[in-house]
Amino acid sequence: MREGDALPTVERYVTQARIDKYAEASGDFNPIHVDADFAAASQFASTIAHGMMVAATISEVMSAAFQIDWVERGHLKLRFKAPVFPGDTVTAFGSIKSIRERDGMSEVVCSVGVRRQDGQAAITGEASVLVAQSG
Amino acid sequence: MPVDYATLTLGQEISNQTYRLDADTVAAYVDAVGDRSGIFDVDADLSVAPPMSVAALSLRGLVHDLDVPQGTLHAGQELEFTGAVRVGDTLTCRATVLRNSVRGEWRHMVVGLAVEDGARRQVMRGKSTMVFPA
Repeated sequence: MREGDALPTVERYVTQARIDKYAEASGDFNPIHVDADFAAASQFASTIAHGMMVAATISEVMSAAFQIDWVERGHLKLRFKAPVFPGDTVTAFGSIKSIRERDGMSEVVCSVGVRRQDGQAAITGEASVLVAQSG
Repeated sequence: MPVDYATLTLGQEISNQTYRLDADTVAAYVDAVGDRSGIFDVDADLSVAPPMSVAALSLRGLVHDLDVPQGTLHAGQELEFTGAVRVGDTLTCRATVLRNSVRGEWRHMVVGLAVEDGARRQVMRGKSTMVFPA
């Protein structure tokens, strides 16, 4: 693992059915996500995915790369930049910005984000994780 | 009774809810987000819950107790995971006001989140930034 290394990407096709499932799972029934009539009159003219549903793809990237270390010692700071609509395909990605020693462990700091199929950034941010130093 | 957002003060606790993160809840979450990382097997003994399922649970109480207005936008999110949560654990989720201001026609609210497991060990903390019509 070195600075500049890319993390595994996660691609996901977003559907209204998936958004509805997330609303059920999270208890967030904000009509901007689940009510087509309400959403049609909004600035987005459509329902949009929950930000945290899209952000889950970043956590999946970090889980795939860092396994239990991410679950136990992960940090995530995100900005939701653009909506994700039903029918969009999003790709979550990341790359290692820096690795430094902290508290006897290695703190791995990563640039992370999610982009839509049109290249628009949906989420930008930074994730970091403390991992045991090898060797 | 509707929440008067203008009266919410810094440090005020606006939500304090306890949930059991059972296998069905975690399975529904994993299905909804389509997680394929393979490290969250709800059928395994002492399976670990996806950390974002804990975050989602912490926001559930907030959305309910704050009576978040229709059309609220989630502008930013910060999360720190400080311990693995086992499927089946009981979580206490608290939310407090960290910022509450109006800019133009929009109210910007930053809410602090804190989650403890059944052993009262903090497993997550964070900040949510929400924007809604003032």
